[in-house]
Amino acid sequence: MSILDKMQRIDRRYIYLAAWIFVLFPLYYPLGLPVPIGRESKAWYNYIEAIPDDSVIIVSMDYGVSGMPELYPMTVATMHHLWDNCLERNWKIIVLAFWNQGPLVFDTLLSQIDPAAKYNVVYGEDWVELGWVPGSETGMAALATDMWGQTPRDYLEDRPLSEYPIMADIRTAEDVDLVISIETGTPGLPEWLRQWNDPFGVPFIVGCIGVSVPGMAPYLASGQLSALLPGLTASGEYELLLSRPGLAVAGLDAVSMSHLLVVLLVLIGNVAYFASRGKEAS
Amino acid sequence: MEIPILITAFCTLLQVIPYYLNIPVIDSASATMREWMLLVVNMAVFVGVISLGQVHGKRIQRRGENWPFSVVLMVFMVLMAIVGFPLESLGLGFKNAQYLFMFNNILNPLGGTMYSILAFFITSAAYRAFRARNWEAAFVLVSGTIVVMSNAPLFTSSLPFLITWKDWIFDVPNTATGRGVMIGAALGAIALAVRVLMGIERGYLRGGGEE
Repeated sequence: MSILDKMQRIDRRYIYLAAWIFVLFPLYYPLGLPVPIGRESKAWYNYIEAIPDDSVIIVSMDYGVSGMPELYPMTVATMHHLWDNCLERNWKIIVLAFWNQGPLVFDTLLSQIDPAAKYNVVYGEDWVELGWVPGSETGMAALATDMWGQTPRDYLEDRPLSEYPIMADIRTAEDVDLVISIETGTPGLPEWLRQWNDPFGVPFIVGCIGVSVPGMAPYLASGQLSALLPGLTASGEYELLLSRPGLAVAGLDAVSMSHLLVVLLVLIGNVAYFASRGKEAS
Repeated sequence: MEIPILITAFCTLLQVIPYYLNIPVIDSASATMREWMLLVVNMAVFVGVISLGQVHGKRIQRRGENWPFSVVLMVFMVLMAIVGFPLESLGLGFKNAQYLFMFNNILNPLGGTMYSILAFFITSAAYRAFRARNWEAAFVLVSGTIVVMSNAPLFTSSLPFLITWKDWIFDVPNTATGRGVMIGAALGAIALAVRVLMGIERGYLRGGGEE
């Protein structure tokens, strides 16, 4: 086998090994590359900054543990942003999930951040966690018309919603001003839009994994989706906008190196392909 | 008209009509039916557990292919179900230390690992697939490479125009294609719904499709 053939047929085990090295190296030896801020992270940041005072905001944890490597950093950054402004802007934050592992992921977040200690927000007054709402799209439809009926008790303290001042005037989707869905798939934005945006006009912003981004484009263009935070790179940019570098920024060098490997391999494969074609022709 | 099809048509219309008309009686009936459906969905979880037990139980019994993995699955399914059972007076439930330990130290890393394995597959697949064998493939190669590079600060910090190019790809060809696919799928779904309502599509009744 000639060198050109070998360049076109690299054993996948070597590719896996190279990928492993390219990802691991910057995690041990951070490169500290500059990070240009893209329009998506800027739009996300500006949208949250522009949320009117006294708004009711739902944060929906629509992902499980498999989505954590990509989505958890943006969840942490978004919650910091929301809690940080919660008291000053009188925002009411409701955390829930249509994925059954969502509340457990949020438990992980709460084990790392104590919102009461860090931001002086009071559970039940400034924010509340309703936990998992079963039933996927049907659950969304049911929640839209009767939030108290679908989630009679909260998740963290397991008490009736009537005991929480935050829920006093929040009964249906008409009482909600924004939904922030952080999601990996179904149920996700299309289901939300059908049950909350079309009938009640609730605006949406979505954080999603990289592979879901192309599917979000039509919703963004139509205005049904107000802002999109796509994947880890945008999460890192958002962390920098918040001046709070965290998990995503730490992973950006690894993202860069893994992408560099993809580009190098594509280049090697194509150079060898055209060189061997030229050789055959001559 | 047969009774199952009549029930299907009734239930469907009960969900569709409130979307277009504001009739309090139908709205209320529709909401009640949604609550029934949530109960049915929750019961389906138990059916899933029974089905999983049957499939993997048989595999273990017959020492079928990869049966040790089935043992692992069964053991952890039972273990997590017991530890997470909502009986807090007995120290169970998904807020107890044992459940959280298993979630944080077993399920969480395994889930992350499964997702991260994609990076290896995608790298290998990109190397094999992105080859400019013809004009169409060259088009995919160039646009794909631009999008890959535009997601890496390593490239965008020195070649900022990549972000503009990626934004154009996202906004124009990608959105146009996405819209086409969505509209096509929606029309297909409407056609399927009409066929179901008219009793032409019967596969869901386990009746064997069209007559």
